[in-house]
Amino acid sequence: MIKTDVIIIGGGSTGCGIARDLALRDIPHCLIEKGDFAAGATGACQGLLHSGGRYAVNDPEAAAECISENMILRKIGIKCVEQTGGLFVRLPGDSKRFRDMFLKSCEETGISTEVLSPSRALELVPSLSPSLEEAIKVPDCSIDPFRLCMLNITSSQKRGGEILTHNRVIDIIREHGRCVGVKVQEESTSEVREIRGKIIVNAAGAWGDNIASLAGSTVPMTLSKGSLIVTNHRLTNMVINRLRPSSDGDIIVPNEAVCLAGTTSITVTDPDSSDVDPAEVDIIATQAQQLLPEFVTTRLIRTYAGVRPLLKADGGDDRKISRSFKIMDHKNGMFSIMGGKLTTYRLMAEKISDRVMEALGLKTRCRTAELPLEGQEELSGYPLCNRLKILENIVCECELVTADEVEKVAREIGTRHIGDIQHRTRLGMGPCQGGFCTYRALGIMQETGKMTPEASMQVLREFLQRRFKGIKPALWGDQLREEQLVESICLGILGMEQGQ
Amino acid sequence: MSGTYDVVIIGGGMSGMMAAVALADMGRKIAVVSRGDPVCCLSTGCIDVLAAGNDPLEGIGSLPDNHPYRLVGKDTLTASLEMFRTVMSEECGAYVGDVNANRRILTPLGRHKVTCLVPATMEFADFHSDEYIHVISFNEMKDFYPNYITSRYKNSGCSIFDAGISTTMSIAERFENRQFLEAFISWLKGLDIPEGRIAIPAVLGMHFAVNVYNEISVELGRKVFEIPTLPPSMPGLRLFGGLKNALLKRGVDLYWGKEIYSVEKSGGQIEAVTLAGAGRSARVQGNAFILATGSFVSGGLHASMDAATETAFDLPVYLPGKRKSWFNDDFFAPGHAIEKSGICVDQSFRPVDSRIENLFVCGSILAFSEVMKYGCGHGMAIATGVAAANVCGELA
Repeated sequence: MIKTDVIIIGGGSTGCGIARDLALRDIPHCLIEKGDFAAGATGACQGLLHSGGRYAVNDPEAAAECISENMILRKIGIKCVEQTGGLFVRLPGDSKRFRDMFLKSCEETGISTEVLSPSRALELVPSLSPSLEEAIKVPDCSIDPFRLCMLNITSSQKRGGEILTHNRVIDIIREHGRCVGVKVQEESTSEVREIRGKIIVNAAGAWGDNIASLAGSTVPMTLSKGSLIVTNHRLTNMVINRLRPSSDGDIIVPNEAVCLAGTTSITVTDPDSSDVDPAEVDIIATQAQQLLPEFVTTRLIRTYAGVRPLLKADGGDDRKISRSFKIMDHKNGMFSIMGGKLTTYRLMAEKISDRVMEALGLKTRCRTAELPLEGQEELSGYPLCNRLKILENIVCECELVTADEVEKVAREIGTRHIGDIQHRTRLGMGPCQGGFCTYRALGIMQETGKMTPEASMQVLREFLQRRFKGIKPALWGDQLREEQLVESICLGILGMEQGQ
Repeated sequence: MSGTYDVVIIGGGMSGMMAAVALADMGRKIAVVSRGDPVCCLSTGCIDVLAAGNDPLEGIGSLPDNHPYRLVGKDTLTASLEMFRTVMSEECGAYVGDVNANRRILTPLGRHKVTCLVPATMEFADFHSDEYIHVISFNEMKDFYPNYITSRYKNSGCSIFDAGISTTMSIAERFENRQFLEAFISWLKGLDIPEGRIAIPAVLGMHFAVNVYNEISVELGRKVFEIPTLPPSMPGLRLFGGLKNALLKRGVDLYWGKEIYSVEKSGGQIEAVTLAGAGRSARVQGNAFILATGSFVSGGLHASMDAATETAFDLPVYLPGKRKSWFNDDFFAPGHAIEKSGICVDQSFRPVDSRIENLFVCGSILAFSEVMKYGCGHGMAIATGVAAANVCGELA
C-alpha cells in the first residue's frame, strides 16, 4: 500500500501539471494513469498553443486565459514550444464583418495582431493560397504535448512524487462517506494495489465521469470527438487558421517534421471513441486545401482522433461550448476538473492545486509560472543536425532513432509497451509509421529481456492493426503505395497472415 | 539515345523482364523502359505461384473467371516458369521447386511463407518442426532477430558471428571476400553444432550466392538454408540482377531511370513514346508496346482521394467502388478490395475500352490479379509476361 497526501487520477497535461504544481509546493502526491502519459485528449490534440485568437470573438474568457498562458508557456517551456507565430487567413467570400469583430475582440483581450497584405503573408508562408484577401498575424505557437507532460513529471519525480503509468483505477475507497484512497490495477500483471491519500483529484479528462461514478458522483460533461490528419512534411512554418467563426478543418499546425490539419467536432458518448470516418478526412482535406492548395497532392501519413472533455452543453453545436474550465468539489474529499484546453493546462493545475491546499489547510503559493520546466537542458530538441551527430546503428530511418536509444529507454523505464518507446524516441513517427522499425524495436526489446519473443509477436500484430486503423481513412496517393509495401512485407516476407 | 524496336516494354519488373526475354528469344528487337529498379528487389526472391492449396497448377482452375491466370492457362504457366528457371540458372541463380507442389519456407519471424519456386539457397528451408535447427545471426544486424525463430522452435539453437558491420547489404558484400568467407566457415566448424539444419539470414553474397552457399554446405556437410529478410533483400536483388543480365546478353536495350512524358498515336496504334529522365530525353518507336508497370506500389497505378489513374497511357482503370470500401478493417485479413483494381484486358491481353490495337498489358497492373490475397505475385507476373509476349510476338 502507498500512502500519500494527494492522489491525482489522469496523466494528461492537467494531471501532469498538477503533479508539478504540488511538487513545487512540497506536497506528497501520487499520479495514476491507465496508459502512458498524454494518452487521451492531450496526445490526440493538434499541438497548438493558442494565442486565443480562435476564441476572441465568441469565447472571450477562454481567449484571455489562452493569451496569458501562451506568454507563460513560451517562457517556461522553450524546448517544447516552437514560436511559430500564426496567421488568420481571410479567403474570398469570408466575412469582412467577422474580420472587424476579430480585430476588436483581440484588442480587448490583449492578443496582439498585425494585419498583413496578401503579398506580405505569401512572403511568410509561400504555400498559402495566392487568392487570399489578407492575413492577420497572432502569437500562436506549436507545442509538443507529450514532451510537455514528461517535463512536468520530471519536477514531480525529482521531489519524490509517485508516478504509476499503465495502472487503472478500479475502485475509490470510501470510509464514512469520504474518499480515502483508490484501488489500482497494473495493466500487464493485473496486480491490484491500494493507495491511500487525503484528497483525490480527478483529472481523468474524458474519462472523468467514469472515475467520479466510482465514488457515487457525476461530472457533467459533453464529449466531443475531433479528428486530425498528419501530413508527411511541413507545408507551413506558421500556424494557419481560417479567419471565420470556428468550423471544421480550419487550422493547420506545423509540428516537428509534419503538419497537423484539423479538426472536426462530433458529440460522442464513449470517451474511448477513436474511429476516424473517411468523411471527416474528406472535410478536413477539402478545407485545408483551400488554405494551402498543395495539400491535395501532399502525402498524408495518418489520421487520429481524440475526445475533448468539454463543459456540459445544453444541446446544440459543440463548437459553441466555452473552452474555459470548471472545478467541482464533490464535498467528499474528491475534486474534479473539466473543460479547458492544453494551452491552459498550467492555469487549471494552479487553480485546482489552490483548492487542494485550502482543503489541506496549507498556504504555500504556486510557482509554476515562474520556474522553467525542469529537464529541458537534456533534450536535444528537434533540429535534424542534433540527430545527425549520432548516425550509428539507426533502426528508425525516418526519425533517426538508434538501436542504443531504444535499448536505453527499454531498460530505463522497464516497459513492455512499444508505444512508450515511440513516445520517448519518436520511433515510428515518420512516413513509414513504424512499418519497418517496429519489428526491429521489438527485436531489441526481446534482447533486453523485458519482453518475451511470443509477447513481442503479439505486440507487433496489435501495433500493425492499430497503425492500419489510423492510416486507412486517408489512404490514397503515395501513402497507399507505402501501405501496400508494408502489407507485402508483413504478409509476403514475415508470413503474418491470419491462421498461422 | 533513341531507337526503333519491334516491341517496347514499359516497366522493368518481373513481368516486363520476362516478356523481354521471351520476345528476344523469338528474335525480336526489344527495348525495356523503367523508372528505376523494380519492386522485386524488395521481395524474398521466391516465386509464389498460388499459395492457396498444395498444388498451384491445379489450384488455378478454381480461381474466379476474371483472374489473369485464367487467361494464361496451365500450359503457358508451366512453360513460362520453366523458361524463368532456365534463364536464372544461366545467370548463376538456379531455382528449385515444382509447379505442382507448394513449399513452406521459414520467415524471419519464425513463421512460414507458402511459395513454389525458391532460390537454390533456400532448398532446405522447408523442414519438419521436430528437426533441430541452428540459427546463425550477425552481431547487431538490424533486420534479423533470431529470438523470433528460436522461441517458436524448442529444438533449436543460435550463434552470433561478428561481421564487423550491421546492415544486410554490407554483410552480403563481405561474403564475396574469400578471407571473410573462410573465417566464417572455420568459425562455423568450431561451433560444434548438433546434427540438423543450419539457417542463415539471406546475406550469403551479393551476386554469387549459390557459390558461397555451396561452399559452406560442402565444408560443413550439412543442410544449410537462407532465411529471406526485410528489404533490402538480397535474394530479391539477386533475382533482379540475374534477369537484367539475361536481358543485356540478349541485346535488349534498357532505358533505365526514364518515364514516359508523351505518347504519339496514329489511329488505333501507339507509334512512339518520348521519355524523360536524368540526362537527355529519348524517343522510342515500336511496332507494339507492352505495359508492365505494376500496381500502386510500383507506380503503374495512382490513387487520388476517390479515383485511380494509369500513369503511362492513361488507360481506363477498374476500381472496386468508393474509397471507404477499398480496405478491410482487419489489416491481416486476406484480400483488401483495392487489390482488384487495374486494367481489364481481353483474351489477347489488350486493354478493353481503350481502342489501342498494339498495346498489351501484363503483370500486377492487371485487374483482378489480387496478388496478396492469392499469394501469386511473381508467378502471375512471369506467366502473364510470357503470355502477353507470345501474343505480341506474333504481330510485331
